[in-house]
Amino acid sequence: MLEDTPAAELKQVGQETLRIDSKIKVTGQAEYVSDMEMSGMLHARVKTSPFARAKIRSIDTSKAEALSGVRAVVIGTELDYKLGLYVVDKDILAKTEVRHYGEAVAAVAADTLEIAEKAVGLIEVDYEELTPVLHPLEAIKEDAPRVHPDLGNYSYMEAAFSPQPGTNIANITRLRKGDIEKGFEESEWIVEREYTNPSVQHVPMETHVAIVQWGHDNKITIWSSAQSPFTVRNLFCNAFKLPHGNVRVIVPYVGGGFGGKAGVGIEPLVAVLSKKAGGRPVKLTATREQEFSLLPCRSQLTYRIKTGVSTEGKILAQEMIMYWDSGAYADYAVNVTRASGYSAGGPYEIPNAKVDSYTIYTNKPYGTAYRGFGHVEFFWGLERHMDLISEIVGQDPLEFRKLNALKPGSITLTGEKITENHGSVSKCLDAVANSIGYGTLTEKEKAREKKTGMKIGKAVASLHKAPAMPSFTATTVVVKMNEDGTVIANLSLIDYGQGTYTSIAQIIAERLRCPAEKVKVAFETDTDRDPYDWQTVASKGLILSGNAAILAADDLLEKAYADAAQVLRANTRDLDHDGDKIFVKHHKESFVTFKQLAIGYAYPNGNAIGGQLIGVGRYIAQGLSNLDKETGQGLPALDWTYGAHGMIIEINEETGEYNVLKVTSSYDVGKVINPDAVRGQSIGGMVQGLGTATCEGYIYDERGRLLNPSFTDNKIPTARDIPLEIETIPIETPQLDGPYGARGVAEHSMIGVAAALGNAIQHATGARLMHMPLRYEDVWRALQNKEPVDNWITKSPYGSCRSTPEL
Amino acid sequence: MLHEFSYIEPGSLSELLEFLAKYGPESAVFSGGTDLLISIRAGLEKPVYVVDLKKVPELQELNFGSKSGLSIGAAVNVNRVVEHEAVQSHYRILEIAGRELATFQLRNRATVIGNIVTASPCGDMSSPLLCLDAEVELLSASGSRSMLLKEFITGVKKTQIKPEEIVSKITVPTTFMDAAGGYEKLKRIKGHDLGVVAVTMIKTKKTMRVAVSSAAPTPVLLPDFVLDTPVAEIQKVAQAAISPIDDVRCTKEYRRFMVDIYIRRLLEEVQHERGAA
Repeated sequence: MLEDTPAAELKQVGQETLRIDSKIKVTGQAEYVSDMEMSGMLHARVKTSPFARAKIRSIDTSKAEALSGVRAVVIGTELDYKLGLYVVDKDILAKTEVRHYGEAVAAVAADTLEIAEKAVGLIEVDYEELTPVLHPLEAIKEDAPRVHPDLGNYSYMEAAFSPQPGTNIANITRLRKGDIEKGFEESEWIVEREYTNPSVQHVPMETHVAIVQWGHDNKITIWSSAQSPFTVRNLFCNAFKLPHGNVRVIVPYVGGGFGGKAGVGIEPLVAVLSKKAGGRPVKLTATREQEFSLLPCRSQLTYRIKTGVSTEGKILAQEMIMYWDSGAYADYAVNVTRASGYSAGGPYEIPNAKVDSYTIYTNKPYGTAYRGFGHVEFFWGLERHMDLISEIVGQDPLEFRKLNALKPGSITLTGEKITENHGSVSKCLDAVANSIGYGTLTEKEKAREKKTGMKIGKAVASLHKAPAMPSFTATTVVVKMNEDGTVIANLSLIDYGQGTYTSIAQIIAERLRCPAEKVKVAFETDTDRDPYDWQTVASKGLILSGNAAILAADDLLEKAYADAAQVLRANTRDLDHDGDKIFVKHHKESFVTFKQLAIGYAYPNGNAIGGQLIGVGRYIAQGLSNLDKETGQGLPALDWTYGAHGMIIEINEETGEYNVLKVTSSYDVGKVINPDAVRGQSIGGMVQGLGTATCEGYIYDERGRLLNPSFTDNKIPTARDIPLEIETIPIETPQLDGPYGARGVAEHSMIGVAAALGNAIQHATGARLMHMPLRYEDVWRALQNKEPVDNWITKSPYGSCRSTPEL
Repeated sequence: MLHEFSYIEPGSLSELLEFLAKYGPESAVFSGGTDLLISIRAGLEKPVYVVDLKKVPELQELNFGSKSGLSIGAAVNVNRVVEHEAVQSHYRILEIAGRELATFQLRNRATVIGNIVTASPCGDMSSPLLCLDAEVELLSASGSRSMLLKEFITGVKKTQIKPEEIVSKITVPTTFMDAAGGYEKLKRIKGHDLGVVAVTMIKTKKTMRVAVSSAAPTPVLLPDFVLDTPVAEIQKVAQAAISPIDDVRCTKEYRRFMVDIYIRRLLEEVQHERGAA
């Protein structure tokens, strides 16, 4: 830890603190890109493909161009730019072939949205529809059509990824630990199962939106609803081969992201429209329907797990194969594959392990980051698997988990040794088990069963996750003092709802020993003015930016002490401070206020010293290493946040209808900075997790057309879907390199919810569910031992629900 | 984003009907707009005129008479019906089903008649109104005609309405006044959702009626059942009358299964209900 304040002396850190952005948001005063208008601004609309895979024979834009009020029409063949975060595989607009339903093929900028929409309707595209490859297990076959025949020519981040030219495999992450064959040989039981998840949509309240002005001399300004302004700038400059100083990215308040706005999105398309329209600013707002197919989604996963267990119930060997459906572009899916690959065994000690995690191109909307970064998906399988194993070996699922849980001395899949300071999954499991009354039914619950005729089930699921990020991930915080002694902090981590800025304000206030109200953390980030941050993803915001905030505050204090030492004619070692002033420890009446020092100290005769009090804190992840491409060994994890969910449900055994009665979540967060924020993240993620568990999922027809691209048939939970009772129990095992010992807990709240639900249903009824989501019908089918629905479309075995062609 | 259209707001019934007589085929009648605006936004409907009914006083009427029964005007929103005293005391099934329609906010816009004229197989008001033998009044500049709701809805999104006509009101006779009843609806979330499949049941001293929605091209009213008809018999008749499909919302198999479950539940429910007429 970068500071050593004893917990009892903390005044800000650990206190319930009202979110600094709550009032401006609930009163509607916060300005989002969606709200923004500019003089001379044009409006854009996009023409999208009705086919999953088709040759573009020709595009006739003449009628659209002739329409009065149309200022620019662009198509793919005129744009010679390639985009990609890890594998550079995406054109701004499809050129000669469309690779997924909903892909952009042309775009228009016009005086009004209505004219732009009309013009899009006038663009004629001559397609030759081709047979798409839709399921990753079809796409991985030798004779499958290639989604990217040029894969071998694409550039990619070689340290981390391994695309396979001549195939549809965008990446393979391999991991080998111990002797897997020997482990299976020594096992009493071997349990092998397959689990699946469909693709789902993030559904941020603010859809993707950007305004771009391509100014003179290629000076470009981008206003975007984005999570990572510097990544937008970096990828944009790489694609357009522009110096980074030419491009300015401004991110005001953001209406949700959940990973869907982590990288670069629609900004390059809007930019080329602005360029073609002579430099007028152009605004593109994705429609809600476009969020489902023009913009990326969460990848589908098929996860096969084979586990060998000893007579005593210890896991001896585990083989894990993940087939991640990347969709048409690699985007973040390759890194989801990697992060899930090294994390695939969960918080358990597995002496002999093998992981093969594949990213597979298909002709579907592409996968990207989504809260949990793969962990929601594979933990569904893994934590269902743990319950299915414990049933077979005849152990209680909670005891089985605790027996196999990582503990000090355990070695992770990548060879990391667990210490006392890593946090404890067992403590989280105990906390949730205790909270739900695991293992028994209370008299009240028995009476409820009798009254409702429903069965009550109780279960747990555990989880872990480390930030998935480059080994050299860095951030900077700048703290500047104002004339009145208050401070403003600037950083380019974006607070799009997590509450991180409030925690940063608390941390700075703690260091300066002032009330949190005296610290403003500035919303609206500007890459021309604010310091660098890689991305706002991976639950790494608090740990990296929190440390940078401590360093920035201390840097400011160091300057203040130096100035004060002159003013007070004292040694800096003899100085101390409170929220208002710096004083001499042994002569407290000898002091100078921060206000007097804020912009430089002036003596009564007019002489001055110092200057503005400003502190810079830069922090970079330390000690991380690239993983060996054959064995997966190395150190990928800055920190692991462990956690567990406990769930109580009631279920109608005849129909599969169920109610979620209680969800308790526990995370070893290291140190709670803001209890409100921990609870908010915990509840928000849990409800999002319930959505993914109970009702969400993309459904396609055999031609790869998305059949549920809106809220009519792609449901998300509402207020009425929130469980009757919710509890959050933070555990505090300090992280030695975390700010005040804290770890991230942004994604974790969602990770184990689906498995906890599946486990609770199994506990109540014996139904063995292995495919998400768990709609009443799916539960009913499992209860009746009927085959899971391939899909709810006759002759459409692809997409949501179970579908596993034989390899 | 909407395409360009002219918004017409007639202040009287005659003005409205005369407009529709001239421009009916190019017009979309607009009351709550909860279906219409979505259709327009999706480009499924492109009316030249959007004709608002809400300023026509007669269409805002909601009346009850002990002889004439309940009369609901075309512009009466669902919340007004659900909260109406006579509905709550004499036509409880309309209240029960009405509260299952979308959300409170949407029910402030959505009208009962809109729900009928849309003629969706999953309309929440159709099957209770079918059970109650509701009658629709069609009005045009050249006169009026009435028919049973059962005859009015002819297929998926199809009715007998002509371009120059409006459904001015729906009348619920006193025949099934004070009937006990219930409505069971399968949804995909606990919040608002359309009915994946739904069953209405009412019971008077003499008879029982059952209607099923989202299980055939139109909501289906089953023939009357005598009071002590066994549950298996009602289920058998229902299964023969419906023709559910597999779609993105559900399989036909589970729809059929849940229809049987709902019939059994509702039968238990209405039998327990005291004070049934």
